[in-house]
This record gives sequence, C-alpha cells and structure tokens, in this order.
Amino acid sequence: MKQFIINRVLSGILVIFGISIFSFLLIHFIPGDPVKIMLGINASPEQVEKLTHHLGLDKPLLVQYGQYIMNVFEGDFGTSLKTGRPVLTEILDRFPETVKLAVFGLFVAVVIGISLGILAARFKDSFIDKLCTALATLGVSIPSFWLAILLVMLFSVKLSWFPIANGTGFRDLILPAVTLGVVASTMIMRLTRNGMVEVLSNDYIRTARAKGLEDGLILFRHALRNVLIPVVTVIGLQLAALLGGTVIIEQVFNWPGLGTLALGAIMSRDFPLIQGIVLFMGVTYVTINILVDVLYSLIDPRVEMGTKEA
Amino acid sequence: MSKTRLTKIFLLLTMIVLSFVLMIGCSSGTTSSEKNSSSNDKNKSEEASEPQSGGTITIASMLEPDTLDVHKTAMSIAGLVTSHIGGTLLAINPETNDLEPYLAEEYNVSEDGKTITFKIRQGVTFTDGTKLTAQVFKDTFDRILNPETGATVAASLIAGIQSTSAPDDQTFVIELAAPSAPFLRNLASQGYLQPISKAAMEKQGDEYGRNPIGAGPFIFKEWVTGQSITLERNKDFNWPKAFSKNQGKAYPDQMVYKFIADEQTMLAALDSGSVDIAMNVSPKNVQKYRNNPNYYVLEAERQGLGLFLEMNLEDEVLSDLNVRKAINMAINKDAIIKAVLSGEGTPAYGPIPATIFGYDSNVEKYGHKLNKDKAVSLLESSGYSKNSNGMMEKDGKELAFELSIMAQYNQAAQMVQAMLKEVGITVNIQSMEAGTLIEKVSQGEYDLSFLAYSYADPDILSLLFHSSQIGGLNHVRAKNSELDELLEKGRTTIDLEERKQVYARIQEIIVENAYWAPIYAEKVFYVVNSRVKNVKLEGVTIEFHDSWVQQ
Repeated sequence: MKQFIINRVLSGILVIFGISIFSFLLIHFIPGDPVKIMLGINASPEQVEKLTHHLGLDKPLLVQYGQYIMNVFEGDFGTSLKTGRPVLTEILDRFPETVKLAVFGLFVAVVIGISLGILAARFKDSFIDKLCTALATLGVSIPSFWLAILLVMLFSVKLSWFPIANGTGFRDLILPAVTLGVVASTMIMRLTRNGMVEVLSNDYIRTARAKGLEDGLILFRHALRNVLIPVVTVIGLQLAALLGGTVIIEQVFNWPGLGTLALGAIMSRDFPLIQGIVLFMGVTYVTINILVDVLYSLIDPRVEMGTKEA
Repeated sequence: MSKTRLTKIFLLLTMIVLSFVLMIGCSSGTTSSEKNSSSNDKNKSEEASEPQSGGTITIASMLEPDTLDVHKTAMSIAGLVTSHIGGTLLAINPETNDLEPYLAEEYNVSEDGKTITFKIRQGVTFTDGTKLTAQVFKDTFDRILNPETGATVAASLIAGIQSTSAPDDQTFVIELAAPSAPFLRNLASQGYLQPISKAAMEKQGDEYGRNPIGAGPFIFKEWVTGQSITLERNKDFNWPKAFSKNQGKAYPDQMVYKFIADEQTMLAALDSGSVDIAMNVSPKNVQKYRNNPNYYVLEAERQGLGLFLEMNLEDEVLSDLNVRKAINMAINKDAIIKAVLSGEGTPAYGPIPATIFGYDSNVEKYGHKLNKDKAVSLLESSGYSKNSNGMMEKDGKELAFELSIMAQYNQAAQMVQAMLKEVGITVNIQSMEAGTLIEKVSQGEYDLSFLAYSYADPDILSLLFHSSQIGGLNHVRAKNSELDELLEKGRTTIDLEERKQVYARIQEIIVENAYWAPIYAEKVFYVVNSRVKNVKLEGVTIEFHDSWVQQ
C-alpha cells in the first residue's frame, strides 16, 4: 500500500514538473517579442526594456526556469501584469469560487446520475430504461453553454426566479451547478446502470431475491456497494474535469472563478497570470488523480495487489 | 434499520435534491411579483419626476478595472469608476461641450501659453478628512510625472509639464515646456487626473489601488474581485460641478459596478432587472431596447474612428497614389455600416470624425466616394488592364494584396475583399492575434490592415502620421515634411480658429494622398432601465450626478 502511494506521488511529481516546464515555455512560444505584445502599440523602448528586465527575459533560459521554480517553491508565482497583484493572490481569490461551483455541480451530477442509473437498471429494457438512456445521450450531446443560456432565459429572464450576475450566494449557485451537473451526470449514470445490471444478474442477488428480500434493500445494500467502486473513480475524475472545465459556464453565469480569471488573463495577455493558472490547475488535477487512485485502492484492495505484482 | 426505511430515505433525499431548484425558485416567486408591481407603479408615476434620494444604481460593464489607483491605469472603466470618488481641476459641460472650472474655481493661461494658474476651490475635503489644497495637486501631478509611479494614461495626458508649484494653499501653477492646445481639455479627463491625498497614499501603500480615497460624491466601499465594485454616497459632499442641476450630495445611496464579461449575460441581467444600466451595448443588440418604454438608450458618437484601412506606402504597388485612390473608391462604406453596425454609424471621409475638435465638414465633399468606374479608370491610367480572369494586371502580375486583420474585423474584411474584387483587385485576408498583428504592422510587414482608434483631440494624428512615429503608430509609414510641420503646429497653436485651419489642411493632405481608406465612425450605446432617471453622457462616459432611482 505504502509503495503504491509513493509510486503514484512520484509519477505525479514528474507530471507537475512537465507542466511547470510547459507553462514556463508558454511565454517563449509566442511569436514576436512577448514584452512588446504585452505592452501594446504605444509602448516606448524604455518601457519594453524595463519590463524585459523585470520579467527576467534577458537572462539565459535555464537560469530563468531555475529562478521561476525557486520562486514557485516560495509561493511566488510572479505578479499579474494587469493588476500588479501577486498571481497567487489572484488565483486564491478565485479558486474557492470554482471549487464551490465544481463540488456543487458534482453533487447534482452524482444525485442525478446514480438515481437515474439505478432506476434504469431496475427497469432494465423497459420504457424507463430507454428514456434514461435517451436523456443520457442528450446530456452528452447538449453543449453546456446552450443549456446554460436556456436555463438563464427561462428561470432568470422569463420567470425572474434567479438573479443573474448577482454574486456567489446559494441562489446564484443553483443554475450554474445544475448546468454542470446535468452534463457531468451522464457518465455516472451510464456507469451506474451498466454496473447495476451486471451485479443484479449475479448469483448472490438471485439468492437474496429467493430469500424474499425487499427490492430496495437488494438494490441499495447488496448491489449498489459493488457498483460504487468504478463510479467513485469516475466521480473523482469528474471533479477534476469540472474544476478545469467550468470556463464557459463561469462565463455565461458570470461566476467569478478561475475560469473567468483565465479567460480575462488570456484576453489581456497577462502571461505571468496565465502561466500561474496553468501550473496551479495542473497541480490540482494531478493531486485529485492521486487521491482518486489511493481511494480506489482502499475500496478495492485488488488494485494494490496489481501494483505489487508489477 | 428496517429494510424499507433505507429505500424511503434514499428516495426522499433524491426527491429533495431534484426538486430544490423548483422549491427555491417558487419561494422567490414573491420577489418577482413585487418587481412587476413596482414596474407598474413606475409607469403610473412617470410624470412625477421629483428626484428621490436613496436606492442603488447598478451598472454592468464588460471590463473590470485593473486597479483603482487611477494614475496607474490605462482602462477607461477605471477612469469612470474613480470619477465618482474624485474630481478634476476642470470639467466639460455635457450640454455645451465647454470647458468649465471644477475643483479649480478659476484658471488663467499666460500670454505665451506656457503658464497656467489655478485657484483651488475651498471647502473640499477628502473622505479621510484631508483638506484639498494646491499642495495636494502639486503632489498628485508630481507623482504622475515620476517615472517610478509607472503612470500610463495619466502621464500622457499631462505630458509637456515642465514644473508645478504651489505658492500658497489656493494657488496651483503649471509650467509647460511649450504651449499645448490639447492640454486644458486633458485636465478634464474623468478620473485619471483626480487629486490623491498623500496621507491616504502613504497609509495604503501598495494597496491603494484597491482602497482608493478621494473627494468625490461617492466613497469607495468594496471591491469583490471578478464581481463588483460598490460605492457609497459621500454624505458630506457639497461641491458638485456648476452645470449639475443637483447642487447637493448624490441621490442614490449606492452605486454598484458589476463586471459581466459576456454581452448576452449582461443583457439577460438587464432584462431580468439585476442591473439598471448596460454599458457598451453593441449596435445589433441595442435595437430591441429602442422602442421599449421600460428602457432608454443613450448614444454618443465615439471620439475616433471605428474602422479605417491602412495602406503601406513602402509597398511597391501601394506607393502608387492611383492605386490607393482606387481602393478608396471601390469601398462602399454604407454597405459595411449596414452589415457590421446594423446601420448605426457614420461614413468617414477623413482621418477624424465630427466628434473631434478640428473636424472640417468640407471633407464630406472632397473625400473619396464610391465610384467603381473611376476606380477602374485610375488603375488603367497606371498601366493596369483586365486579364482573362477579369482581374487587373500589369506586366503579367495580377493586382493582389494581403489584408492583415484581427478576428473581430472579419466581416468587414470579407466585404472589402468582395468590393475590391469588383474592380479587379484580389484581396487575401490574413487573420491573426492582436499582438502579432500590431508588431507586424508597426514594422511595415503588411500591405493593407484595419485599425480603429479613440482619442479626444486631433493631436492623435501626430502619432498616426508624423514621420518620427514610423515603427510605432505611423503604420502607413508616411514621410511628408509639410504634414510633419503642420502636425507640430497643430499641437502648439493655442488660438482655436488658427488651430482649426491647421487641422483642416492636415485632413486635406491625408485625404489627397489617400494614406487611408477611412470607413466609419461608430457609436457607443448605453441602455438604461427607466427606473433610473436622468442619466446623461459626458462625451462618451456617463455623468450621474443628476441621476436618481424611482423607488
């Protein structure tokens, strides 16, 4: 078990290292002089020189990277060109909002996904099952921004139930979370349904049925627990995806999270900020992945055995 | 636990979660009906237009300021937000467009045009208790001019100051290196040149940009990053601009700027009543608010040109004046305005629009008009003739250009492409990212390119056409000594009539040489919910001091 965790953490560090190089090189990939691009058309040569020096772009690449990594270890991700505030401050201002949205969206996804999945499995091949499958297909195919706009048109503009661009309170959270949840629920639903169908055909379920146990008890106590193992993995991965994938939803609902921050940073060519966000999201993503793997190995010890053999 | 209870609990939980959206929605149904009833009331009491105190004005902006340290920002939204929490020496009367004293009670300009003396208004205090004196202005201007501060727009507005002094509490003197015509109007720039108390600056240090303190009708309250900036009424304010009808403190309790990056979301927020004013609404979206009694639309012609086509004089083919003129005559400006701006724009014939001082309306007569036959004959007189493909050709080479643009101008570019094709000129559109484009175009690595500008004074033409600006904004790479001389003269001529003459001639030269194909001047639109009364425009920014909220 210990070895497994150590292996996962080590490979995670390797990935983060790669991301750090990528995000660092970002600034050097831009065609033309990035400093001139940042400063815009009116910049004087002195301004260009000053910023070049300030960003350390006049030093050798390797020295620059070393300095960058050292600073990152000290919690210094650089300074936003637009606001002049530390990049980390900007990110930490927004990150909790994105987490809030992603977690709540995931909650909606899990509830919808698991309940519809169970429902579909319970009434396998019936009308309900087909309806659920159709809904899942629809959920995958609907562009999330379109669903978002529909929800805004109906619930905010027509019915005035929810304010728009109001803040980040509970009521403001609902529409964006539902949008995220509906789209993310489909995978959970499919997985739950298929797992459930498979488990329900097992002998021990038949035995339980034969003993005359009630339907609900069979579904939730006997079957669901076994189905949950792969579902938990997907939930974890969905969370990581939601954290990184809320950009469009944040934009439509004007949610002040990391997505809108990233978009704004790209628009204003705030390279240190873009660099910081990429690295920060990378670390978050990798961390969640490691946690999911570890959690998985806790739920299902066979995973750990697999690594030992390897 | 009984076997059925587990199932029931689960189902109950599911039901609760699945339906909470609806439940919360329903519980707030009361608010929506309240809103409807209040909007009916509003219609009833439309005529009773006595200003009322109280309420909140919520303004949606697609951009968020970078900092409220207004000396350090280049963003107009920062200038607007801070204009409520500070003031300027002079102000522009929105009705007459005249320059009027504001935080300076009076001012006078010496005969040589280099010394400007201001008498500072008394009884003005910052919200931290500091008194407004001449010394505060001296500190402020010195700070802006100090390169360490890193001031951008503020510094460019007062460039040319040689020294400032404050001989006594009420007298503030500016010495200019040379007389400057745009200078006084620049002093009225909302927000950017507001005085900042040294005490506040020292107390806040680097955090000043997020905790500004001024002497305006509102006090900065809170900035929630990515969301909103809230301002509160300054109860002690009693020094409004002379042209305001309201000569006391502001009417609303609060002003809230909300930042909504997406236009559709911003308009949805306007429709749902979440915001009262939407800034910079695009022409195609403004139509549906025009005849709606629940809203009114404020519009202003933008100061500057919304679109013009630059031509690289160093390109061998484009160095031929006939070719440049032919391009001018092949472009149907009205068609572009109709398609791109839903008709909400004015065709441009010269380098500056009617909204900028010095505009000479004669340009509408002598400017190049749509005339395809003339365009073709101009090309023919330069030795081009139609080849078998129907395209213009000389010495076996077809007449073809690359048009470098940012993606936002795609539609206009395609129209120009089709229009030039009609006279036998091939255009290939190269769309690229803004930074790359600007760098390429500044270096002269282009044939044709689109650009727009915003500026309040005709002096902008020095940046765009003076030979010293080649490599910078002089993208066309004009080297015209007569033009250079006139541009310098335009900057230093104080006499308005004489200055006007100078710019009339400058416009003529630019049009004669067809450096650009000017296309249109556009408008800026603000849509206001009619529960907020008396919102006015001052230039292209908003003036709120007479505004109040119908309760």
